[in-house]
Amino acid sequence: MSESSSNSQHESPYSTHSEAVRAELSEIDTSIRSAALFFVISAISWLMLGTIFALLAAFKAHEPDFASTFEFLTFGRVRSAHLNAMALGWGNNIIFAVGLWIMARLCRAPIHHKGILLIAGIFWNIGLSVGIFGILRGDITSVEWLEIPHYATPLLAISYALIGVWGVMAFRFRKGDHVYVSQWYILAALFWFPWLYVVAQIMIIWFPARGVVQSVTNWWFAHNVLGLWFTPMALATAYYLIPKVLGRPIYSYYLSVLGFWALAIFYNWAGVHHLIGGPIPVWLISAGIVASVMMVIPVIVVGINHHMSVVGLHKEVWRSPTLRFVVFGAISYTLVSLIGSAMALRTVNQITHFTHFTVGHAHHGVYAFFTMIMFGGVYYMMPRLLKREWPSAGLIKIHFWCCAIGITIMVVALQVGGWIQGLEMNNAEIPFLETVQNTIPWLKARSVSGVFLTVGHIAFAINFFWMLFAAGALRAKQGPTLLDHSKEGDIA
Amino acid sequence: MDVESYTDLIPLIFLGVVFFIVAVSALYWTAKKGQFRNFDSQAKTIFTEEEPEGEVSDSFPTKQK
Repeated sequence: MSESSSNSQHESPYSTHSEAVRAELSEIDTSIRSAALFFVISAISWLMLGTIFALLAAFKAHEPDFASTFEFLTFGRVRSAHLNAMALGWGNNIIFAVGLWIMARLCRAPIHHKGILLIAGIFWNIGLSVGIFGILRGDITSVEWLEIPHYATPLLAISYALIGVWGVMAFRFRKGDHVYVSQWYILAALFWFPWLYVVAQIMIIWFPARGVVQSVTNWWFAHNVLGLWFTPMALATAYYLIPKVLGRPIYSYYLSVLGFWALAIFYNWAGVHHLIGGPIPVWLISAGIVASVMMVIPVIVVGINHHMSVVGLHKEVWRSPTLRFVVFGAISYTLVSLIGSAMALRTVNQITHFTHFTVGHAHHGVYAFFTMIMFGGVYYMMPRLLKREWPSAGLIKIHFWCCAIGITIMVVALQVGGWIQGLEMNNAEIPFLETVQNTIPWLKARSVSGVFLTVGHIAFAINFFWMLFAAGALRAKQGPTLLDHSKEGDIA
Repeated sequence: MDVESYTDLIPLIFLGVVFFIVAVSALYWTAKKGQFRNFDSQAKTIFTEEEPEGEVSDSFPTKQK
């Protein structure tokens, strides 16, 4: 490693003046630049809007009279607007940017007809804007994770199809026979998401199935959006960036392939655990519980693989803005998944069901795991797309610390508070109102965590738009965020 | 739940079966294409001449002055 590190000072492709040396990667990066930039700008805009909705919803949870005179700001609408802005606005846009970029790079195939990709992206965001406006207006459906009114969903489905096809086409025209594990994850997710979305729309909204079948479909969909869309995309990013940044291959490629196939086979069944105790066939719930526990296999496999890949290189991880976020996310994946498997057990679920524990768990997965890894992906991708440095290391550190502290407070507060709430709700001697009042301190802690996250997001947005618009001043002398040993500063 | 309403679950069960068949078929295709061989070399496909193995490629930006 030390030998290769010293080589990097003299032979780095980023420090060479010869454009030809990095012609292939440049061509791929250039081919996706305009579309990726559009998706990142959209993602960050939705992130900021979703943060405002989140703060409002969090605050209203312990101050119900706050802004209660406006219909469109009632808790139910703001909370759902937050969920959809974050999941379909921030989550999907950032996946389209980072996921397609990684796919194109690994396939060594430039993206063709990028204009259509861009138009599809514009339509996705128009569809989502109409949908969230509809939610605030009161046209919200009563189905969690599918709240967007029916008049907006066809546009979302069509524009997604156009975007997803680009990833599949890049794979189809790839150079070389090897398929890297990140490509497996991205390709599979690009198939899974439209399947989930369209089936759920058909069975719940367009041609509603009878009775509890709707609930089964609902939770099959909602849980799989996390498990078969956000999770594979985040894992693909981690599997690409951890070895790429460190310059060291993944510890065990065998384990990474095992992890992928175990996830592909088990996760699809797990969503029914949301209905434990509900009026559906017991065998269906039992199958969901078994699948949830079987998920321990891919989770442990991925955890071991990521851990062993960074062993001995902790200093390099800490010095890389990308890996600070990605490794935080990877550790969170192990934790949140093991907690999730435990929550699927009937005895544990008896306590956690209908409490804030579940809300904490959802944020642990979507934020501490998925979002943190995607932040890392943006920190690595943008300098290579724009051939510019990030303008401020300080803002990156503010972003990291605020998000890391904020999400930790949120998960701990909601899960400790939720557990106590569950124990109290199971105690018939405690009046229900008392159990609700006892959650207030924990909900206030959640609002405090929201302030931390907001500061982090503002720092991220400032750094991003500063980089985007202050072109001349920030052009990299030596290349994108290259480790330059002679200039290493203090890393907080 | 009465017996009749079990039939509502048929589409879901059918989908689950289709999903499982697709996953197993993909697994078979992968094995046939040799993706489960030469794991060491496959792990290195992310490195290129432009971004070689052994080079740390990301760190906090240094001051431009």
